[in-house]
Amino acid sequence: MGGPATKRGRGPLGSEGRWALAFLAPTLIGLAVLSAGPILATLAISLTKWDLLTAPTFTGLDNYAALLTDDRFLKALRNTFFYTIVSVPLGLAIALGLAVALNQAFRGIAWIRTAYFLPVVTSTIAIALVWQWIYSADSGLLNQVTGFFGIPAQKWLSNPTLAMPSIIAMSIWQGLGVNIIIFLAGLQAIPSEVLDAASVDGAAAWARFRRITVPLLTPAIFFTGVLSLIGSFQVFDQVFVLAKPKPTDATITVVYFIYESGFKFFKMGYASAASWILFIIVAVFTAVYFQSQRRWVYYQ
Amino acid sequence: MSTAAAVAAEEERALRLGRRIRTIRKGILIGLLIAGGLLMVAPFLWMISTSLKTRAEVFAVPPTLFPKVAQWHNYPDMWNALPFTNFFINSLKLASLNTIGQLISCSMAAFAFSALRFRFREPLFGLLLVTLIIPFQVVLVPNFILYRFLPHPLSSSGNWIGTQEPLWVGAFLGGAFGTFLLRQFFLAIPRELADAARVDGANPWQIYRHVYIPLSKPVLATLAIFTFMWSWNDLIDPVIYLRDIDTLTLTAGLSLFQGQYVGRWPLLMAGALVSVIPMIILFVLAQRHFVRGIALTGIKG
Repeated sequence: MGGPATKRGRGPLGSEGRWALAFLAPTLIGLAVLSAGPILATLAISLTKWDLLTAPTFTGLDNYAALLTDDRFLKALRNTFFYTIVSVPLGLAIALGLAVALNQAFRGIAWIRTAYFLPVVTSTIAIALVWQWIYSADSGLLNQVTGFFGIPAQKWLSNPTLAMPSIIAMSIWQGLGVNIIIFLAGLQAIPSEVLDAASVDGAAAWARFRRITVPLLTPAIFFTGVLSLIGSFQVFDQVFVLAKPKPTDATITVVYFIYESGFKFFKMGYASAASWILFIIVAVFTAVYFQSQRRWVYYQ
Repeated sequence: MSTAAAVAAEEERALRLGRRIRTIRKGILIGLLIAGGLLMVAPFLWMISTSLKTRAEVFAVPPTLFPKVAQWHNYPDMWNALPFTNFFINSLKLASLNTIGQLISCSMAAFAFSALRFRFREPLFGLLLVTLIIPFQVVLVPNFILYRFLPHPLSSSGNWIGTQEPLWVGAFLGGAFGTFLLRQFFLAIPRELADAARVDGANPWQIYRHVYIPLSKPVLATLAIFTFMWSWNDLIDPVIYLRDIDTLTLTAGLSLFQGQYVGRWPLLMAGALVSVIPMIILFVLAQRHFVRGIALTGIKG
């Protein structure tokens, strides 16, 4: 009844343990059948040849061996790396600059901020449709603008060298808002006395940015970095809508490759093996990134 | 004497100059921000403008900013070209079901992880966080296979493929992001409140229902908005699971529309605009919650 009695629930399956089980039941089922469990299932399936119509046959590491000599898969890997290496740092840097600029009070600032967030809430397909039109080779907006400066019209989405950069530009545009919000929240958490003290000291704006703002923002930069990193390995929608990777495979990404192998060609084992390779790459990148944290992230 | 006065005057002038430089700098900065903001909304304005043009106007060189006569009929033309009413209802239904499912299952899990004491609490939460980092494509194939072999009484194929169930049932089985977001918030609720309720004889369900949930409305709203948005904007799952045209969501329907109406930009832009308007309204109404959600998971993580 009283206070001491409530402390009893600490045992392995004391009263609170049973309650916890009840509260966690949906989550535990989800983990088992939809997220954690399937990760292991993917590993098992990746060792088989399975078209879902006939029984799976065990093929050992054949799928992995085949993938590593599959030119399309290697190209998908290269494209995904290129996308990550360009879009993540560039997206973060632009967002950081904008957040610092947006972190001040004047009338109408809310409207300007809204403009930067807008692309975040809209579906990639709608956004990709309009960008497809902007990038369109015949009388698309971009060619009209570049034509005004005397630059000849380009096939932004079908030229193999331009296709990935075009997709990256759209993705950065779309993703800026999320990073800006996180940076703004981080900036607002910096005590204004800290910045005021620096400005009384006469610290020039750039030095103040580099030596005070950026170090204090490193936790936020770290976090947006994780989000962008993981997100960039999953790039699919943009490619699916904007530039289906035909015929040159200039824009094929790993996830597109998985989608195609699994759900168009019904090569479940092959798609699973590609998924695991992606998983390992993301895990390694994330682990290295988390390790690096000690060297550059300052927690107060 | 006079030198002191001169120094004071000099300082005063320097101060005023500094203030003026700062005002000018701020003015330039605001100008740049506005220009950048215009660049951000330009594709949306272009979408609106194109959706009201004729096909001939679309390809005019140089491009015109506004249509000569607004072609409002592009909207009904687009809407009737494919069963867009169905698409809209499907998106609304799936987004609502996902939202309800996530609110219930994630809040329950978050309550357990923040207010209850039990064995394996930390490793279990750790496992959940790991699934947050794992790319969802890794589980795409096994999930598809699971639904492929799960019997479904009402489906023509006998299994879940081709039905909308794979697109919402999972939402009732928890989620790493929602649980993490709510747990962050629940941890900030003073334990004394729960302890006091416990002393009064409340069981954990009553504490969850009458203490934690009422106190967490803002963060629940945040989760609701995010879930609704993700479900509304999801493309890969509808593309994989849905077969019948009548069951498609707006995103999958738009993708189909894009394939069928290549180059018919006014209609395509009208379709795109119709699909984004609900999200833009939601965002403008609930901007506070968006910002809070991102900030809460980002900074306190």
